[in-house]
Amino acid sequence: MSELATASTGTGLPRDARLRIGVALTLGFGFAAVTRLEVVPAMLAVAALAVVASGIAPRALARRMRGPGALLVAVLLVLPLTVGQTELARLGPVSLRAEGLEAAALVAARFGCIVAVALAYLSTVPVLRLIGALRALGVPALLADIALLMLRYLDEVRGELARMRVAMALRGRPLSVWRPGGAGLLLAALLLRAHHRADRLWQAMRARGWGAAPPEAQPRVARADLMALGLAVAAVAALVWLDRAA
Amino acid sequence: MHVPDGFLPLGVTLAGYAGAAAVTALCLSRIARRPDPRADMPRVAMLTAAFFAGSLIHIPVPPTSVHLLLSGLTGVLLGWFAFPAILVGLFFQAVMFGHGGITTLGVNALVIGLPALAAGALFRLRGAGGPARDAVFGFAAGGGAVLLAAGFFAAVVIAGLPAHLDGELERRAIGVLALAMLPLAAIEGAVVASIVGVLRRVDPGLLRGV
Repeated sequence: MSELATASTGTGLPRDARLRIGVALTLGFGFAAVTRLEVVPAMLAVAALAVVASGIAPRALARRMRGPGALLVAVLLVLPLTVGQTELARLGPVSLRAEGLEAAALVAARFGCIVAVALAYLSTVPVLRLIGALRALGVPALLADIALLMLRYLDEVRGELARMRVAMALRGRPLSVWRPGGAGLLLAALLLRAHHRADRLWQAMRARGWGAAPPEAQPRVARADLMALGLAVAAVAALVWLDRAA
Repeated sequence: MHVPDGFLPLGVTLAGYAGAAAVTALCLSRIARRPDPRADMPRVAMLTAAFFAGSLIHIPVPPTSVHLLLSGLTGVLLGWFAFPAILVGLFFQAVMFGHGGITTLGVNALVIGLPALAAGALFRLRGAGGPARDAVFGFAAGGGAVLLAAGFFAAVVIAGLPAHLDGELERRAIGVLALAMLPLAAIEGAVVASIVGVLRRVDPGLLRGV
């Protein structure tokens, strides 16, 4: 577990994965606490510093944010046109409203900051180390086992799914909304095949002593990592104070 | 159906974590009563992987496509394991792909996990019936879980957005979401009914839940 709990990076991020989780959650909840537009520039600055310290390439971060950004775009389009009474501009039946615009800007800023920090601090940790760190932080063993085995099976499930879809397409019967039974058959066959394979794998893992070893002692937290967490707490405290004072 | 980071105020996200922790503790305590709580780990992990990969299964609905939620199926096959399994799946979706969020993890677990538990409980009510009864309960569990999750999602997002919608707009938004979700609920209900039918013929043990 000690090896699992230590994330190896050459960046300014905490090396200990437990501390990385702590920093990401502290900053994430701190950003969620911001309720005023006046505090948004300070929040953006804190997020930018945290992301720069992580060493993640901006292009990689932008690529990872593309997916979750789709819902954000929808909200940004809907809120300014539907929420509030103060009209800023009107084009026929559509009016741009100040309250909706402010709400959309706040949501967009909070979203961008939290997702950027979460991706920079957590998605750069190898998954096994992340699970080890969560276990070290007190997450129940059963959840850690589910996570480890899920990752073990995920590739098999995906591979099996891809093969079955190709086979369906070759037979000229692709998935269709008019034949939901087709998706049902696909999933049922997928579940049966994966289940039988997973069962054999689990028996072999238990025979080799999976779960029998006592948990290893946790390494001491490095002072530099504690300082990173302290900085995150201080930044969040400052944001909350600014938000109250604004 | 995933509430992203930044949409909800701090109080709601923290309440979501507290609620998810309480439900997880309840589920784990029920699982711990079993003679060997880890005996069904393969099925749980495999279903979690299927839930995680569920977004890969797109069903064409012209002019777009929908992907399956699979929370009802998870509840039907996993029983008390459904909530922890969904929690784990949501965590990795948030960390690896940015779907959902780390601050909204608790809320999302409740939005998707509670309907899964309800779907599992509903399916157990079918008793020892024939194939038609299994299909009806499978349809209700699959479709009902989608509608329930959509209701929770709408309530949380509308209550949590940093802007006060007027009552009329709120009702309209919920109505539009419900209408948009009806086809997905019907598709998911039909898919779960079909899966239940196949499993009943091939491996009925899987339908006993864990």
